[in-house]
Amino acid sequence: MKTEPAAGSDKPFYLPDFCTSRAALAIVLIVELTALMLTLARDSALIGFWTDLARTSLFLLWIGLAGAGLLCWLGEPLKRLPVAQGSAAVLALITGLITVVSLVTFVLGRSTFGGYASIVALFPSEPGTFLWRNVIIGFVVTALALRYFYVTHEWRRNIEMQATARVHALQARIRPHFLFNSMNTIASLTRTHPEVAEQAVQDLADLFRANLSDKRDTITLEEECEVARTYQRIEQLRLGSRLRIDWKIDPLPRNALVPGLMLQPLLENAIYHGIEPQPEGGTVTVTGELAGGLITIVVRNPVGAQQNEREGNRLALANIRERLGLMYGERGLVKSGRFGPEYIVTLRFPHIESRVKLAT
Amino acid sequence: MKLKVLIVDDEAPARERLASLLAELEGVEIAGEAVNGVQALQRTTELTPDVLLLDVRMPGMDGLEAARHLNALDEPPAVIFTTAYDEYAINAFEAQAVGYLLKPIRKEKLAAALAQAGRLTRPQLQKLSAGTPERRTHIAAKHREGLRLIPLEDVQYFLAEQKYTTVKHLKGEDLIEDSLRALEEEFGSSFARVHRNALINVRYLERIDRNAEGQYCVRLQGCEAPLQVSRRMASELRERFRM
Repeated sequence: MKTEPAAGSDKPFYLPDFCTSRAALAIVLIVELTALMLTLARDSALIGFWTDLARTSLFLLWIGLAGAGLLCWLGEPLKRLPVAQGSAAVLALITGLITVVSLVTFVLGRSTFGGYASIVALFPSEPGTFLWRNVIIGFVVTALALRYFYVTHEWRRNIEMQATARVHALQARIRPHFLFNSMNTIASLTRTHPEVAEQAVQDLADLFRANLSDKRDTITLEEECEVARTYQRIEQLRLGSRLRIDWKIDPLPRNALVPGLMLQPLLENAIYHGIEPQPEGGTVTVTGELAGGLITIVVRNPVGAQQNEREGNRLALANIRERLGLMYGERGLVKSGRFGPEYIVTLRFPHIESRVKLAT
Repeated sequence: MKLKVLIVDDEAPARERLASLLAELEGVEIAGEAVNGVQALQRTTELTPDVLLLDVRMPGMDGLEAARHLNALDEPPAVIFTTAYDEYAINAFEAQAVGYLLKPIRKEKLAAALAQAGRLTRPQLQKLSAGTPERRTHIAAKHREGLRLIPLEDVQYFLAEQKYTTVKHLKGEDLIEDSLRALEEEFGSSFARVHRNALINVRYLERIDRNAEGQYCVRLQGCEAPLQVSRRMASELRERFRM
């Protein structure tokens, strides 16, 4: 479904499309149910239940189908109106239609079938009450229907917005640049080194599984490092000797619980901003320490002289900061900044041991 | 006559893939490969390819800048950009109807692009580079048979002559066609206007002198002759550098 707002208004009018056969069928059904309800609520002893139902149905069908036709015909200009004006216009249109149909019914009953008493009994005897009753009922029903359309429209918009937000969040995690470049590398390796290509596909699959997993909140540091190394293997194929990563994480407790996917995005930033722009490449250093119950992980990469911080970088950092905050509150910390020729990101959070024993 | 193609990409697998795709196409010959913009320009003058397959994102000098310099050549080759993902560049290519290929590149699309590859026009290049905040990393000066690329940090000053602009750099002097005003606009953050006709690289600024007649001039590192400074610029310059 399209969600782009109509030109000139940021909130499009919410009317559904009345020009489809499905809409016509729905209207016939709704009209019949309403007719049934009205007939049941009324004492129709004079002409009998079925006759009453038939005439009510006929009258309401006229209004319902003509109304749908009218809204289908005027749909385009109506959709360009703001919500309040559009609703008022629809109310006015339908009320007008009801007035016209009621009057026609009355006149028809007077002129055409005037001679037959049994038929005259089916028609309203006095135009005033008949007209006002219909107009007020029609006004209330139309207002309720509009309210219903508005609420469902808002609800659908909300769901669409949530889905878009999720996709955006996902994109923030997997950089399209990385995905397409990896695909290109694999396409190349398929010809020259099929077995390396196979490994690369497996690595990419693992990486995506880690990225798409819902249980990202708590994994062990061992698993987190494995994800980061998987990522490194893929990038290594592409960048070759230009990419060097120096892992100094031996002091870290491997079974510590960490928020998933905090190291890999940092490496990704370091490579995208620090290594790729350098013709000679460079070294990313990952250092890990455990002191006083706190784990500290530092990722540093070289930066070019004229480089500025880019949006992707801030997004990933904000995401990690938020997750560390959710998990550890005040005790989780993310610092980042440029220090001379290096960009340094520091993560610090409490050491919480995983209850699951690591298989070694 | 076979179409001579130069492959330009900083990533080895990407170059290999293009080479193997090109090898399968009829009437195409690989002239050579280059790993960044600077090398691409060198190879272009050496090998005179008909078409460049030019990666957009490369370290050192990127594809867009290389394309700008290429157009200074008398017989510039046709250019097809390649990119894995770069929304901004792709939108610009679409808008300017410039040939581009998305990686991983399909053989049919490569063949089609080569068949209709064309040179970039000056307006196309201007629109492509407009909006990119990045300034050129090099100045290209036309030479006997090709281009001399002068890294921006080697430029000591630009001097406007009647028709051309002289670039004085660490390895000598060259003539370019860019106007001083355009150069000042592009490199204003690291260059300073000292006179109506002179734009200096502030990293080479040594000192400001005043001679017996009260005229100011600047001395630049590695330049023997001092440059004249207009009176108005002198005070601005001293304020900017607290001299």
